[in-house]
Amino acid sequence: MNRRFLPKSMHGQMLLSVALALLAAQLLSGILLYRAEQRRIESTLISQLAFQLVRDPQIDLRGENPRSGRRAERRRLRLERVLESPQLRGDMRDPEREAALREVLQEQGVEVAQLVVLSRPFSRDRYLMRRMREAPDLYRETFDSDGMVVLAGLKRANADRWMVARAPLRSRSVRAFRGVIFQTLILYAVLVGGLALLLRRISRPLAALTARVERFGGIADTGEPMKLSGPEDTRRLIAAHNAMEARIANLLDEKNVMLGAIGHDLKTPLAALRVRIESVEDDTERAKMARTIEDITDTLDDILSLARVGRSSDPLERTDISALVASVVEEYEDMGEDVALGETVRVALPVRATWLRRAIRNLIGNALRYGSQARIGLRRDETHAIIRIADTGPGIPEGEIAAMLEPFTRGESSRNRETGGAGLGLTLARAIAEQHGGSLALANRIGADGSIAGLVAEIRLPL
Amino acid sequence: MSESPVRLLLVDDEASLREPLADYLSRQGFVVQQAADAAKARSALLEDMPDLVLLDIMMPGEDGISLCRHLVESRNLPVIFLTAKGESTDRIVGLEIGADDYVVKPFEPRELVARIRSVLRRTAKGAVAGPAAASEAHYEFDGWQLDPLKRRLVDPEGTVVPISSAEFRLLVALLDHPQQVMDRDRLLDMVQGREAHLFDRAVDNQVSRLRRKIEVDSRDPKLIQTVWGGGYILAAEVKRFTPEVN
Repeated sequence: MNRRFLPKSMHGQMLLSVALALLAAQLLSGILLYRAEQRRIESTLISQLAFQLVRDPQIDLRGENPRSGRRAERRRLRLERVLESPQLRGDMRDPEREAALREVLQEQGVEVAQLVVLSRPFSRDRYLMRRMREAPDLYRETFDSDGMVVLAGLKRANADRWMVARAPLRSRSVRAFRGVIFQTLILYAVLVGGLALLLRRISRPLAALTARVERFGGIADTGEPMKLSGPEDTRRLIAAHNAMEARIANLLDEKNVMLGAIGHDLKTPLAALRVRIESVEDDTERAKMARTIEDITDTLDDILSLARVGRSSDPLERTDISALVASVVEEYEDMGEDVALGETVRVALPVRATWLRRAIRNLIGNALRYGSQARIGLRRDETHAIIRIADTGPGIPEGEIAAMLEPFTRGESSRNRETGGAGLGLTLARAIAEQHGGSLALANRIGADGSIAGLVAEIRLPL
Repeated sequence: MSESPVRLLLVDDEASLREPLADYLSRQGFVVQQAADAAKARSALLEDMPDLVLLDIMMPGEDGISLCRHLVESRNLPVIFLTAKGESTDRIVGLEIGADDYVVKPFEPRELVARIRSVLRRTAKGAVAGPAAASEAHYEFDGWQLDPLKRRLVDPEGTVVPISSAEFRLLVALLDHPQQVMDRDRLLDMVQGREAHLFDRAVDNQVSRLRRKIEVDSRDPKLIQTVWGGGYILAAEVKRFTPEVN
């Protein structure tokens, strides 16, 4: 069975199952109705035949009352009286009807010697054809000239002739079905339509909630709590969600306040320390101390930024990415570092420039730390702007690339204090790329001789 | 200013930073007065007017921003913020209320000294005639807009084009003298900022960087043109306007 055509939503599945259940119920009642109708037709047929046979077998009304003869003739079908059984070759006897008719006749006190019930097409019944020519109106009313006729031949005990009664065999009535179909349609309109409305009432707030939860992901600041709507269950769910959202927002706020306080409380003593080391006479010693303080500050900034990146309140601004990349590269040029800006294209994207600048800085800083040289480029493909930072360092063993993006991981070859940094740089760069809906990818650059010639970091930002 | 020593007022609630910093600045030849909070700073101001105030932003009681507003508006004193935050929003708030510069803790003491001297040089050069009022007005040239407070350059399509502080000062110097030939010495003099030691060897370099960002084709510059043997000239017409505050 092909599942693609089955509805996936709650809405669709419920509607489909209700529609199927309704269809089954209506089919069942249709069948029951049909069978009741069949029985009714059958018993009418039997009574018709019995009535004709029982009523007055001996007297021909026509002969007795010549004046009203025509009217009488109009009112009833005349019995045929024959010497032989009415069964012709090719006629099928109908034992069920025979039994039913026999029962009715015996109840009426008729002594049955022989009884045959059979059906044949109207056109094959010579008696009827003859009578039809005599009184076409009467017969045309009663019989369908394309239909079937049921004949009942009765030979009473001690009678010498057969009496043959005739009744039309009614084609199966579709009238009853028309009723069922009409009823089904109304039920469908009322039930399925009503249900659709009701389900919409449930599923609309659910869809809104889903969208909200998806949006909530990183940025908690969705403003107003969600409006309660839908039936009670849905309202309770929304209320619970709102409460949870508020709790998360509170936690994040607390975290931000706490981090701000940590930042302030650590930076002031660091600043004091930085001032105090100016009294150190030894220049190299002082420079080392200054470098250490700088490292602590950088790490602290990375930690604070990483904690804040998901909840940045900075607005997105359409920014010339090539100018942004160039300005970061220029900072490093001015510091006398070996950086070079290669090919760039003009791309303008809505970004948080302060953050993106930080991500690029981290990647260039990383490249310079491990590779002493950074080559920066900006290109674009159909879907992304790609900022590429390549170095000439030792690269990363293939298996460790994913781990490098996790917090506090640094390459094996560099696990010493001299290289500085707590390994948050790449994590932060990735978090910033993701904050912009993009990604950060690291890959080894393979040189001409097949060995690793350096590392390439690429920030991909969706256009 | 070489005759009498420069007097500084240092306002910071953290004694652990304030005291060694005051010592350091004294050793550099400044006369330093200390205040632990805004109230003490206000009373110190009544006794003696400093040449410049170093002001911490986060302080218990009245904060640095509020005190700065008072200092700039009623005393017309130059202010340098000492801040623990590095967020760009703080920077803008600080500069909007008229602080002349800021350093982020932990700062390099020598850099602080360089900035103190740079701010004093700027204010001594007669920039006292309300630099704040003039610097708030935006520049407009050839469809571009520059907000001097936020250092925000926007191209004719509304895209922000990030520029460095050196590029910003160069651009402002050119925008203040449109269609005038600016020789390298004059430009250097006008744009010297805290990166002065980097900048003086590279006016040409900064010009070419700026061209890369704002010229359609940096090899065939239309806005910033080179005058042979002279210097540079901004070819566009410049308008100043004060944006509506919403």
